[in-house]
Amino acid sequence: MIPGFTQTMVNFLQYIFFYTVFSLPLTLSYRTTKVINFVHANFITYGAYTAVFLHGVLGNSSIVIAAFLAFVIVGGMAVLDNLLVFTQLQKRGSSPAMVMISSMGLWIAYRYLLYVLTDIMHFYTSKNFVSYGRITYSDIPSISLAEFNLSQAFIASMVATILVVSSLYLILEKTRMGRAMRAISDNATLAEISGIPRNLVINLTWFLCGGITAVGGVLWTSFSGAITPEAGDSMILQVFTIGFIGGLASLLRTSIGAIIIAFMENIGIAFLNTYLGVPVSFRPFLTFIALLTTLILFPPLGAGGGLPYRFRKRGLSQ
Amino acid sequence: MVNIRLSTITVPKEPGPTLKKLPFDVKFIALLLISFVIGLVVGYAIFSPGLGGGAAPTPEKTVYNIGFTLPLSGELSSIGKIWEKVVQIAIEDLNSEAAAYGFNVEFRSVILDDATSDEKALQNVQSLYQQGIKVIIGPAASSQVKVVKSYADNNKIVIISPSSTSPTLAIPNDYIFRTVGSDAGQAKALSTLAYQEGARKLIVFFRNDEYGKAFADFLEQNFKEKGITVSKLPYQTGLSDYASEVATLASRVGSEGADSVILIAFDTDGANIISHAAESDVLSNVRWFISEGPHGAGELLTSTVGRFASRVRLYGTRPLYIGNPLYEDLFKRVKSRFGIELGVFCEHLYDAIKLAGWAILRAGEYDGEAIRNALVEVAKTYYGPSGWTMFDVAGDKAQQDYGVWAIVSTAEGYKFKDVGVFERGSIIFTEQAYP
Repeated sequence: MIPGFTQTMVNFLQYIFFYTVFSLPLTLSYRTTKVINFVHANFITYGAYTAVFLHGVLGNSSIVIAAFLAFVIVGGMAVLDNLLVFTQLQKRGSSPAMVMISSMGLWIAYRYLLYVLTDIMHFYTSKNFVSYGRITYSDIPSISLAEFNLSQAFIASMVATILVVSSLYLILEKTRMGRAMRAISDNATLAEISGIPRNLVINLTWFLCGGITAVGGVLWTSFSGAITPEAGDSMILQVFTIGFIGGLASLLRTSIGAIIIAFMENIGIAFLNTYLGVPVSFRPFLTFIALLTTLILFPPLGAGGGLPYRFRKRGLSQ
Repeated sequence: MVNIRLSTITVPKEPGPTLKKLPFDVKFIALLLISFVIGLVVGYAIFSPGLGGGAAPTPEKTVYNIGFTLPLSGELSSIGKIWEKVVQIAIEDLNSEAAAYGFNVEFRSVILDDATSDEKALQNVQSLYQQGIKVIIGPAASSQVKVVKSYADNNKIVIISPSSTSPTLAIPNDYIFRTVGSDAGQAKALSTLAYQEGARKLIVFFRNDEYGKAFADFLEQNFKEKGITVSKLPYQTGLSDYASEVATLASRVGSEGADSVILIAFDTDGANIISHAAESDVLSNVRWFISEGPHGAGELLTSTVGRFASRVRLYGTRPLYIGNPLYEDLFKRVKSRFGIELGVFCEHLYDAIKLAGWAILRAGEYDGEAIRNALVEVAKTYYGPSGWTMFDVAGDKAQQDYGVWAIVSTAEGYKFKDVGVFERGSIIFTEQAYP
C-alpha cells in the first residue's frame, strides 16, 4: 500500500473522468470526418475560458450555465472550422495530411486569438485572465466520505462523464442520427449514396464533439489551480495518446485508453516513486512511452488499427 | 459503360455546384484584404510623423530602443502582465527625466513575449539584436538567462534581468546584469523564516530547473548549518496539472513525518500545486513556506488558496526593501492608473529600465561595451524603488533586502501583504498576518 494512497486513488478516478470527456469526442470526430484535429486543444481551452469570462466578467458561479454556454459556443466554433476550412480544403482535393496541417494552423491562431481576448477583458475589468485561479461553483456540492474528500471537480466531472458516455451511447445506438454517423464513419460514399445527408451529419458531429470537449474544459476550471490560454495545449499529448490507443476509431478502446493513461500518471508513478525511487518528474515520460508503444505495436493509428488501415486492407483484398 | 457514364456525368457537374456553394467569394475577400493592406501602407505614409513631410520645427530627437523579452504568456504570465504596465510607466518616467536634464532623446520599448520558454527567449534576443538593439531587459527566468548568455556575451548585448536569481549565474565580467540579489541570500532568509517558525523536519518541493535546483541546494546547505537534514522532491515543469505530484508529496510528508513543506515555484505551477494541496488533509496539517516566485499571481487570491494559507499559516519570502517611499509611490501610481497591484520584481524591473536609459546616455554612444561600462558606474549612485542598485563583481545587486509575505483576508477579498523583514540574521514580523 502506497502511503497517501487515498489521494492518489481520487486523482486516478478524477483523471479517468477528464480524459474520457476529452478524448471520446476526438475519436468520434476523427472516425466520422477523417480530420486529425489539433483544434481539439482549443475546444478544451475555449470551454474553460467561456466559464472564466462568465465568472470574471459577469460574476456567474453556476457550472450548469457555464457548461451550457460553452457547449453552444464551442460547438458552433467547431462547425465553423468545418465549414470554412476543412470542407473547403477537402472539396479542393487536399490530402488528409494537408487538412491536419491546416488544423495545426488553426490551433495556433485560436491560441493567440484567446490571448487577444484575455487582453481585451483585462482592459475592461483589470483582472488577470492570462492565468486565472480555480473557480468555486455554487451549484455543485463537495462531499467528505470517510477518508475521501470528494471535491466539487470530482462530483461535477463524475456526473458529466456518466451523462456524456450514456448520451453518446444512446445517440449512436438508438437514434437515426447516430446510425447515420456510424454509416458515414464506416463508408462515407456508400452512406451518401444511400441517401444520408453527409454534410449535415458531419456538421452535427462537429457540433457535438466541440460541445462535449468544451464541457470538459468547464470542468477543468473547478479542478486546476491556474487556468491559462494554453491549458488544453499541454494536455494534447495525453488526449491524443488515448485517442491512438483507441485507434481513433473505437469509443470503447478510447475509454480503456483513458483508464490506462490515468493509471500510469497517478498510481503508476506513485508506485515507481515509492518502491523504485523513480523521480516524480518522470511522469510525462510515461505518457510518451505509452504513445510510442501504441504506435509501434499497432500501426498506423494505434491499437484499434485505425480506419485508414481497415480500408487499406479491404482495398487490397478487393 | 455504366462506369463511363457515371464519370462523365459526375465529374463535370461536381466542381460547378461545389464552387457556387462556397459561403463566401474568394476573389472578393482577396481583393478586400489587398485593399486593406494598401490602405494601411498609404495611411501610415500620410500620417506617420517621420514620413509625412509636415513641418517639424523642433530638431529631430535621437531615438534609443530598449529591447524587452518578457513572460507575457507561460508559467510566469501572471506577473508578466503586471510587468508590461511597469515598463510603460518606467519608459515614460525615463523620457520625462531625460527631457528635464536637457537631453533631446526619446527612449522606446520594443517588447517581445518569450512565453517563459528558454528557446523563445533566445530567439527574441537574436531578433532584437538583428534590429540593432544592444540593451535588453529580461528574460525573467534563470534558465532563460543561462540560454541567452553566450549569445549576449559574443555579440556584446547588455542583458539586464530583473528577476533571475539563480546563484549559478553569478559570473563576473560578462554581459549579464541582474537588478536583484541571488538566491544565496534568499535561501538564508527563507530557511531562517522556516526555522524560526518551528520547522524541524522539512521537504523541499521544487521546480526541476535552473532556479529550483540551485535554490533547493542552497536551502539544504543552510539547514545543514542548523543541524537539520531536508528531504528534496523535484517536479517536472511546464505540465498542465500537478495533482499527481501533489499526491506524491502528501505521501512523502506522511511517510517521513515532516512538519513543513517549502515550495520553490513560479506563478501557474505554484497556484496549481497549492490549490491541490488545499484538498489534502495531510498537506493541510503541515506548515508551508514559499519562495518569491508565486508572489503577485492573481490565481493565489482565490478562496480555496486563501483559506488554506490561513490554516497552514503560509509565509513566503521575496526580495524587497521594505518601507521604501519610492516603492510606495510606484505602487500607488500603478494601482491608480491600471487598477492592479505590484507583484514580485516590479521594482527591480523599473530600476533595470531606468539604469539602462541612464547608462545609454552616460555612454554617449549606442554600443554594447560602452553601455556595459557606463551601467556599472550609473548603478553606483542610483537609488530607486528597489533600493540602492549598485552591482557586485558578478553584476548582481550588491545590497539585497528580503521581506516576508503572506496571503491575508481583507474586505476586498484575499490580498498579498508584506508582513515582515529579514534583518541581521533573523525574521522580524511587522504585523500579524493570520489570527
